[in-house]
Amino acid sequence: MTLPEHARRNRRAWTEFASGYAERAPIGWAREGITWGVWGVPDSDLHALPDVAGKDVIELGCGTAYQAAGLTRLGARVVGVDVTPAQLETARAMQERFGLEFPLLEASAEDVPLPDASFDVAVSEYGASIWCDPYRWIPEAARLLRPGGELVFLVNAPLAMLCAPFDEAPPGSELLRDYFGMFSFEWPEEDEAIEFHLGHGDLIRLLRANGFEVEALIEIQAPEGAQPSRHPAMPSPEWARRWPAEEIWRARKAG
Amino acid sequence: MSSSDAERNRVFWDQQADSYQATHREHIGRPEPRWGIWQLPERELQVLGDVAGKDVLELGCGAAQWSILLAAEGARCVGLDNSERQLDHARAAGAGFPLVHGSAESLPFPDGSFDLVFCDHGAMSFADPHLVVPEVARVLRSGGLLAFCLTSAFAWICWDDEADHTDAVLHADYFGLHRHVDPDGSVHFQLPVGEWIRLFRRNGLVVEDLIEPRPPEDATTTYGYDLAWARRWPLEQIWKARKP
Repeated sequence: MTLPEHARRNRRAWTEFASGYAERAPIGWAREGITWGVWGVPDSDLHALPDVAGKDVIELGCGTAYQAAGLTRLGARVVGVDVTPAQLETARAMQERFGLEFPLLEASAEDVPLPDASFDVAVSEYGASIWCDPYRWIPEAARLLRPGGELVFLVNAPLAMLCAPFDEAPPGSELLRDYFGMFSFEWPEEDEAIEFHLGHGDLIRLLRANGFEVEALIEIQAPEGAQPSRHPAMPSPEWARRWPAEEIWRARKAG
Repeated sequence: MSSSDAERNRVFWDQQADSYQATHREHIGRPEPRWGIWQLPERELQVLGDVAGKDVLELGCGAAQWSILLAAEGARCVGLDNSERQLDHARAAGAGFPLVHGSAESLPFPDGSFDLVFCDHGAMSFADPHLVVPEVARVLRSGGLLAFCLTSAFAWICWDDEADHTDAVLHADYFGLHRHVDPDGSVHFQLPVGEWIRLFRRNGLVVEDLIEPRPPEDATTTYGYDLAWARRWPLEQIWKARKP
């Protein structure tokens, strides 16, 4: 597998981050039900996921695979895909610890070695959805889904990205970057990791160009009493009560 | 039947129509269809497609600058406006198609009457979208298109009331965005992007596009907006949603 430069950079960065995520992995694996984002909003409030029981589900950029574990508990047949071996090692350790098995595959979500039309649902939360090039991973998700299949993914909202100073400080209330042309965002201090974020219109056009119908955009408001994220670059709960820090897209492959 | 907001905006537009048309006549009265604050050509944005032979409804047509041009392209136009004084301007401009006085919250047309319903800073900005979109979905035929241009949610939250222009600061909340009463008495509407999508889907419309037009460096306007800001962040949005 020949990875493009941004995927190599992100794998290197996530190899560094992996030990920190390994420590916290049991918390995500022990969680009841599916929650979304740094505020842990339950899917039962957001209604982002379709019914996954008995469905073939792929998680694109699964990391420690806590979402894949939750989806498995809901009765889905899940495959977790991640490009970083160190993250998959944690996922395997969690599988053993929690007695929950499902296939884990080392691959970039931009180039998944699985056949066309293998899945009913593709999910990504802070996985491929922000660490892969959307012009590569969304076509790949379209290829992997069956007709009528659903794509559900969480990203940071454009407003939060445009207000982010990218120096470990949280976003303030000033726009620091342009919306037009927004695409890749680099974290110079964090092992050269690179994120991808599109504006709303560009993302809608990309989904449509790949045969998806846009079903929903759920802009997540931090719940009252939300605790500050442990990620120093995330907005405060007060910020995220006023403006969206995260959003979930749901799209359906035509057919 | 219309709401108290429709009444307020009717009073506002009846009072403002003459000065509005005098101020913007040359900017919005050019001989080809153009969109919005910067009058960006439809021939570049390609929002509406071929209108020849189609039944077209303009919501909040004002002096019907748009519909007069679409009628010349072969569309069967109907212009709706909440202000009789605006429709006086449309008649004076020679609109040779039906002009209907009414609020877009309650459309006086049978189900399935139109192939295209559109507006350019018209009724979707001045009537509650939660009331207008279901009405549009009702009067559209299967395969018909809803297209409209309005000031973006981005511009709403970056609006500095004191200075009366946009800047790079988030002044207003995004969550809960819906209705705004201007100091001039007019009532404006806008929704978060996700709310628009929810509204379209709930009414059986498929989201076809969200165009966030970026004005060119030499764009001009008579509406007083800051071009430098609009070159960096989307001042306007054009939605396209289709009835399957």
